Amino acid sequence: MTDRELRELCQRYFDAIERGDLETIAELYAPDFGFWVNLTGEESSREQNLATLRDGSALLRRRSYDDRRIDTFETGFLVRYSVNVVTHGGKRSSFWACVVAQCRAGRITHIDEYLDSSKFRRPAASEP
Amino acid sequence: MTDGEIRELCNRFFDAYQDRRVDELAEIYAPDCIVWHNVFGRETSGAENLAALPKSYAGQRRRTYDDRTIHTFAGGFVIQYTLHGVQHDGHRGALWICIVGLCRNGRITRIDEYMDSSKFAAWAGRKR
Repeated sequence: MTDRELRELCQRYFDAIERGDLETIAELYAPDFGFWVNLTGEESSREQNLATLRDGSALLRRRSYDDRRIDTFETGFLVRYSVNVVTHGGKRSSFWACVVAQCRAGRITHIDEYLDSSKFRRPAASEP
Repeated sequence: MTDGEIRELCNRFFDAYQDRRVDELAEIYAPDCIVWHNVFGRETSGAENLAALPKSYAGQRRRTYDDRTIHTFAGGFVIQYTLHGVQHDGHRGALWICIVGLCRNGRITRIDEYMDSSKFAAWAGRKR
């Protein structure tokens, strides 16, 4: 995949997560997709990750993936971003994260996500 | 810088960090190097980072930066690794970390570090 294709795939993916568009996300995941996050150190499957996204989106009024800085490499992309969240009760919080994604033939085959779970409990005042 | 040069610089940086060779780290950091962490959300200078290292190193008997997965892109690298630490009382812990390094003329100009601070206490063998 070219640099441009990888960047477009990255943006499509995060736009779809923001919208809670699980159909598009499912299209973007390769059949053998795997997801890993530094919070648990465990690998989850395509279906497990889609279920997590579906359950997670119901908990929030809005979440946006802002300030996306994308770099591409031969087999995938790196994206650094801030996540801004609004709960149904109106509470806001933010944290910084990054994703390293492996891609093939227009789809994402693997994601490694790194974030700081301690930020989930803090108010937005001290965050980005 | 070429892919090979960036990879060598990345490994040289982590080898020096692991072996506590602060003088070599000072050579690797560009004069205007900036270090940023997702845990604190603030930038520090390379000089400030180096000045904090002796105290930081004193906290553990040994640290190793293992399982390094490196990808390079135009202007830098992303490295995913496991930080293994052995405390002075023998406690062993591991953290999963991702660093994005920007490079210029054989030196590192910026480091963005992503990790989960909720794991620090377990890593160090402390109660929360």
